[in-house]
Amino acid sequence: CAAPLRQGAQDGATASSWSGRLALQVQDDARQSFSAAFELRGRPEAGELRLFNPLGGTAGVLTWSPGRAVLETGGQTRQAASLEELVAQATGSPIPVTALFDWLAGIDTPVPGWKADLEQLAQGRIRAQRLAPPPLADLRVVLDR
Amino acid sequence: AGLESLENFVRSAHSGSADFTQVVTAPAREGQQARSKTSSGTFEFQRPNRFRFHYQKPFEQVIVADGQTLWLHDLDLNQVTARSQSQVLGATPAALVAAAPDLAALRKDFELQEAPQRDGLQWVQATPRARDGQLRSVLVGFRGKELAALEILDSFGQRSVMTFTGMQPNVPLPAGTFQFKPPAGADVLRQ
Repeated sequence: CAAPLRQGAQDGATASSWSGRLALQVQDDARQSFSAAFELRGRPEAGELRLFNPLGGTAGVLTWSPGRAVLETGGQTRQAASLEELVAQATGSPIPVTALFDWLAGIDTPVPGWKADLEQLAQGRIRAQRLAPPPLADLRVVLDR
Repeated sequence: AGLESLENFVRSAHSGSADFTQVVTAPAREGQQARSKTSSGTFEFQRPNRFRFHYQKPFEQVIVADGQTLWLHDLDLNQVTARSQSQVLGATPAALVAAAPDLAALRKDFELQEAPQRDGLQWVQATPRARDGQLRSVLVGFRGKELAALEILDSFGQRSVMTFTGMQPNVPLPAGTFQFKPPAGADVLRQ
């Protein structure tokens, strides 16, 4: 069947961009839980994730390309070999950012231990739960319309 | 002019309410036009450390500082985040407007300087003393005694311009304006 169209504004052959708000809740661990407005652009191989605090300031900018991932927050810069590693280090929680690109495009890419619910993508909503390893994690995304 | 207006505002406006419009402009990127996002809602404050931003458009979000806790309720995500005000408020634009009892208190967190008149407003530049924060500078704009605008530049070059209309200082505010009770069923994150 035809591959689903990549939703979101296109600014590059297969690069895309999305903006909205995301909330991650890790059961009984407020430190790993957070919510932020975001802008995600690029592709799993190379891209940028900007996180904003409620009053519109930039909380952090995550940029990655093959073999390199950099997180800038107010005062510091942090590096890691891969995006996954950096996201886990920076937020202390395992947001599957590469899979997020596919989920946002309506492709239900499987991620070990995670179950994604893309039923409401047309209304700009996505939900994904990490069932294993514990603790349970619940990721919710609402896209700006 | 600007500093005088700020001093007057901080000393005489014990509380206030206004409508706001906020335009956030991301730094222009090579080959791309700078994109901006507009939101609007209502703002109330009461010194020394209570305020409320109720974003209504494009999505509903409530930020309440009740004196101890800063609450953020995102209605779409059905999630409430609660942080202690002492941890987060210090050098933030909201503290500039709503929290400090006088200029001396403001000067603990910000360097304050007169800024040139522009767009019919008198401005003060407030630069946070803490250099590693997310905030690079805030411009506070007054139309005479009335707070009219906040221009917030963050350390990534993102500019947020918040304009206030219909600012009414020292009006009686309904009880509970600065109280927040998480709605049943919402996830509450204490951080």
